[in-house]
Amino acid sequence: MATKVKSRAKTKSKALKAFTTAAETIVNPELKKWIEQGGKVMGYFCCYAPEEVITAAGMVPFRVRATGSTGTDLSDAYLSSINCPFCRHAFNMGLRGDYDFLEAVVWLNNCDHVRRIYDNWRRKVGTPLAHMMSLPKLTTDKQVAWWREELAILKDTLEKHLGITITDAKLRQAIKTHNETRRLLRQLYELRKKANPPITGAETLAVVVTSTAMPRGEFNQMLKELLHELKDAEGIKDYKSRLMLVSSIFDNPKDVKVMEDMGGLVVTDSMCFGSRMFWADVDEKAKDPLEAIARYYLQVKPSCPRIFLGFPERSKFVQDMIKEFKVDGVVGLRMVFCDLWAGELYMLEKDLQTWSIPVLHMDREYLMGGTIGQVRTRVQAFVESIEKARR
Amino acid sequence: MTGRSMSDKCLQKLIQERDMLGMMVETFTKTSTGANLHFVPTKAFVDHHNEIIRRYLTGEPFITSYFCCAPEIYTAMDLPWNTFLTPAFTGALMSAYHDEIDASGEMFRGMDLCTIIRLAAYIVEEDLVPPPTAVIAMIHPCDGINVVHQVMAKNEKWSKIPVFGADPPYWEDERSYEYYADELKKMVEFLQKHTKLNLDTNRLREVIKESNKQIALWQEFNELRRAVPCPHGGAMGLEVFGEALTVHCGMPIGTAWLQDVIADAESLVKQGKGAVPKERIRLFWFDVLSLGLTLGLFPWLEQEWGAVIVMEMFGYAPYTQIDTSSEDSMFKGMAKRALHEVPMIRQARGVADYFLSDIERVVKDYKIDAVIFPGYMGHKDGSANVGLMREKCRELGVPFLYIGMDLFDDRYTTLDQLKDKCSTFFRAMGLG
Repeated sequence: MATKVKSRAKTKSKALKAFTTAAETIVNPELKKWIEQGGKVMGYFCCYAPEEVITAAGMVPFRVRATGSTGTDLSDAYLSSINCPFCRHAFNMGLRGDYDFLEAVVWLNNCDHVRRIYDNWRRKVGTPLAHMMSLPKLTTDKQVAWWREELAILKDTLEKHLGITITDAKLRQAIKTHNETRRLLRQLYELRKKANPPITGAETLAVVVTSTAMPRGEFNQMLKELLHELKDAEGIKDYKSRLMLVSSIFDNPKDVKVMEDMGGLVVTDSMCFGSRMFWADVDEKAKDPLEAIARYYLQVKPSCPRIFLGFPERSKFVQDMIKEFKVDGVVGLRMVFCDLWAGELYMLEKDLQTWSIPVLHMDREYLMGGTIGQVRTRVQAFVESIEKARR
Repeated sequence: MTGRSMSDKCLQKLIQERDMLGMMVETFTKTSTGANLHFVPTKAFVDHHNEIIRRYLTGEPFITSYFCCAPEIYTAMDLPWNTFLTPAFTGALMSAYHDEIDASGEMFRGMDLCTIIRLAAYIVEEDLVPPPTAVIAMIHPCDGINVVHQVMAKNEKWSKIPVFGADPPYWEDERSYEYYADELKKMVEFLQKHTKLNLDTNRLREVIKESNKQIALWQEFNELRRAVPCPHGGAMGLEVFGEALTVHCGMPIGTAWLQDVIADAESLVKQGKGAVPKERIRLFWFDVLSLGLTLGLFPWLEQEWGAVIVMEMFGYAPYTQIDTSSEDSMFKGMAKRALHEVPMIRQARGVADYFLSDIERVVKDYKIDAVIFPGYMGHKDGSANVGLMREKCRELGVPFLYIGMDLFDDRYTTLDQLKDKCSTFFRAMGLG
């Protein structure tokens, strides 16, 4: 029998309930309030999108998900069956009108699937502004300068579109706000280093997902409340092993819960709805805020597999996480048809073997509902194998 | 002494390919018309393989690179380059790589990663390709190519080989061309450092002038392909590409061969002769061609349906001449060519507009009856345009077929299935 990991904080925490609810929806209550008050929202598809510029433009940056999607009937007319399931579901929701609340959307050429959503979306979905940015694949100062220009083009585009001026002061304030979000999220992760973490992996993912979906001021306030509540919360003891998730987009806390129900407590990750979003800060003291933002995204934040020859650093990041969070095993999740992550996990598995860290590789659909039974079985076997090896 | 020998494991696939191409060369005679036009390009590949083998054995420099990484520079430096994706193309010809393809799937724990990328990574990991002096990586137009170079860089043997990847911007404008021209200059510095060969600006100018001539001839050849019936099918388009952008890029021998091709095409057009005795369907094949297709599906299309590949992605040449007046103008021209003009990169790297505008241009210019998008399983970005391409074709009033196949593994969609799909499509559309 698997040991279910039980949350200690959930029953007490209003903040955690709010995060969990928000992660289960697209338009959460705080975002709804913002929109009803006339606030504008800008969507984005990737954690390289410069949220700070969007916030400085007075909009809420919202990371597009396909939460609640039930099919791809409409998008199947445009994309093919070898395209990323997340993209197919998200574009389907765009076609269905679920994203009509967005004033603008920004894309980057981050992967072959997402960049093509831009091409389809701008032609088929009526979002007032669809903007594409050219993100370098290298990270030298030359690329920082290019990316800074791209940020300046985005800034100009938003100024024209909204009839506003984005001053350096607004950019600096946005940097502060987003850095605060990052610092608070790191504090939350810090609690997970404990032998008995006060929060589950599923709950943490709900918090992280929400950090991309509501006005950041409100989010920061709610997270402070949660951190306060968790300070003295009873830790989780009834788990069998400490797991780390390594993945691209993985945004459904219920999928993490399925794994945790098998006795593997998820204590950390290297995910783009996870630590890679917030493990470092933008320099608040830099002379040029746009350059500081550009440098952060290219040179400071942990990279993703599209950054050429960045694997040694990414691998080191995973290794550091394993040590700091006392990880027993790594679960590598790859969205089907994702070439970038096929290579990344292939290389990472080699390193994990060298470090004698057990690894479970799972290919996944965006909606894991149909494969939950398999996930349960495989995670259960993985957790048991870790236990057995420990004995 | 390099301590290397012909029996080294890493040479065996290359020798096998060379011998297979060599057998083909023996079937051609060296004339400048008809089927024997294949002599020069096929012989060039044999010579090229021999040169790579020789340099591997002697330790003289050669590199791994691609047609879209400014090959004019390599010609000017007298630096042979080897594309380690080649085995997948020749493997598709021989169907001899099934075991390796399956093994590469196991290696990556799945078969949905682009076959050519999987196979390329596999042959590096299994020491089945000779290690070059340096690697010029291509990090666009797709995710897969970025992946394979990172896997290569982690391989124990290959991790010691210096690697350079020019950072590709997403746009096609002056800013992007200047940015990429600077990347190409960095590439030259890298090559000079690691191969100890120099790039002489005057020599580069000569090569580019020759390459400009080749591009002009290529375009002239394409003009002749507008004729009804079309004088040459898709296989010749692929060979023209191969001559102009790979083995004879910027070399007079390639220029002379292109002149022969044009003379042959002109003669055929004057005589009213086409690639098939009775041309009934004119097709635009909008993706990579594998050699397997040119020997399997395409002859069947011609014989069974009178269907000729009048234009294909790799035969289409919307190039501009490179200004050779200064070093800067040459690098900028090569940057533009590499980003915006060479096949597949042109369409797949940036926004989807070139997929659509190329369809429009080709359908109108070449009197196309149907567009076939094979939907290669590795070309995820192209497959995400399938709806837009279909709409474009509908707007132009030309039927569109999306297949879904693996260009390099004939088990994914078998030849019989391909034939069936094409026949069903032609019948449904009243073609042929």
